[in-house]
Amino acid sequence: MNKFLFLLGEGLKNLWRHKLTVFTAVFSIFLALTTVGILFIAEQNTQKIIEYMRSKYKIEVFFTDSITDKQAEQIVLEIRKIPGVYSTTLITKEQALQIYKSQFNEDLFEFLDYNPLPSSCVVNVTRKKDGLLRVDSIIDKIQSMKGVDSVNHQRRLINRIEKIYDQGLLALSAVAFAIMLVTVMIISNTIKLTIYAKKDLIQALKMIGATNSFIRLPYILEGIFQSIIGASLAAGLLYGAVYGANEILGQITTFTLPVQWSFLGWLFLIAVVISLFGSSRAISRFIK
Amino acid sequence: MIKLENVSYSYKKGFGLSNIDLTIDDGEFAFIIGPTGSGKTTLLRLIYLDILPDTGIVKVGKFSSNSIKKRKIPQLRRSIGMISQDYHLLKDRNLFENVALPLHVIGYSKSDISDLVIEVIDEVGLTGKEDHFPDELSGGEQQRACLARALIKEPEIILADEPTGNLDPVTAFDLVKLLEEVNGEGTTVFMASHNYSLIKSRNHRIVEIHDGKLRN
Repeated sequence: MNKFLFLLGEGLKNLWRHKLTVFTAVFSIFLALTTVGILFIAEQNTQKIIEYMRSKYKIEVFFTDSITDKQAEQIVLEIRKIPGVYSTTLITKEQALQIYKSQFNEDLFEFLDYNPLPSSCVVNVTRKKDGLLRVDSIIDKIQSMKGVDSVNHQRRLINRIEKIYDQGLLALSAVAFAIMLVTVMIISNTIKLTIYAKKDLIQALKMIGATNSFIRLPYILEGIFQSIIGASLAAGLLYGAVYGANEILGQITTFTLPVQWSFLGWLFLIAVVISLFGSSRAISRFIK
Repeated sequence: MIKLENVSYSYKKGFGLSNIDLTIDDGEFAFIIGPTGSGKTTLLRLIYLDILPDTGIVKVGKFSSNSIKKRKIPQLRRSIGMISQDYHLLKDRNLFENVALPLHVIGYSKSDISDLVIEVIDEVGLTGKEDHFPDELSGGEQQRACLARALIKEPEIILADEPTGNLDPVTAFDLVKLLEEVNGEGTTVFMASHNYSLIKSRNHRIVEIHDGKLRN
């Protein structure tokens, strides 16, 4: 316990002893996490946008004339079972006639003496899905069903939107990964420089019988403290920026940036993991 | 007891030591003398297992170079106090903190450390300089600080690698006398030096080394 308290104290004192390198490491963690945080917020809002877009995707299914309302109901139940289908709305021949009447102010039945409109169904696709949503298979399955006359859809538009969304997500992940990798390298090199400057200390500690873990621990703790400081600064900046942006947006529009702040916990975790990785990598080069 | 049996060691860039047989008894004070590059430091490094022999065995107390596990080497070093020409004091810590460091390594409590550090600083004659940083101490004081750091853990052996190399003759003589006092309390002292005039007047065994070989 005495040893741990001493090493904990050493880790804290090292922050002051290695001011310049600590500043460099904290600043790089702060920059990296702020960027990763912005990507997190962007991803969350992109998710909202894609969910909104998906709520607008509609597939209209028209049944053949010979299909009764009862049979149409059965087909609609089958459509609902297709993976990716969120909801279905059946429009019977009678309802279609009423809709026509309300929209065009004309009674087709009175005019033609029969109802020429087929029963149909509006299919909404699922909104909450990570990554690419494939509507092709849904459309193909519906088209192959018996009793289905035609299917109206925006397949090309939907596929285009989904592809852009998927590529956007991939790009966000790649950028976040690259930033973290660079941060690990920066932290690793910063600590390496610190240790290189402290070769005498390491030699002295070895001479007096310090174990390798005793020599390593203050540097690892120093790395963790740096990451906590960097992550706190990044979290503060992100919270302030989103709060400020929402204040301004709230005054001029109804649109705000919805953010699930639980991601800040992840940010801290990422910071600790990358600093642990960075410091261990640096130390292992000097203390074997 | 320190015992080297037919020990040889060679560096990648050149020769180190060849067929060394040497025994230092418990409580003995011995000098090893030889010109620069003769192998004195290599011999001391082998004793505290900073390097391991290519052939032969180094025995220090209950530890043996051919059977010791890597994780046990720090334990061996805790039984040895090292002082050297370059002091190896930590410049960002004051005298008190430098001397206290070995006790933190062992895991002593703060209050025990405080008592022991004050006692040992007094023993080497540096009372009143506890708050001084190494750069604020003279060469002789730095070397005594180094000795205090070695003595704090009550080692069985003191290895001194040219400790007088950077000191004037009077301060160097004082340091040797201080080491003799330590030896008088039962600690084995093995000191390397190339200053024959300093050690010839002392009544201790002198081992001579030349080109990595011992001479009688």
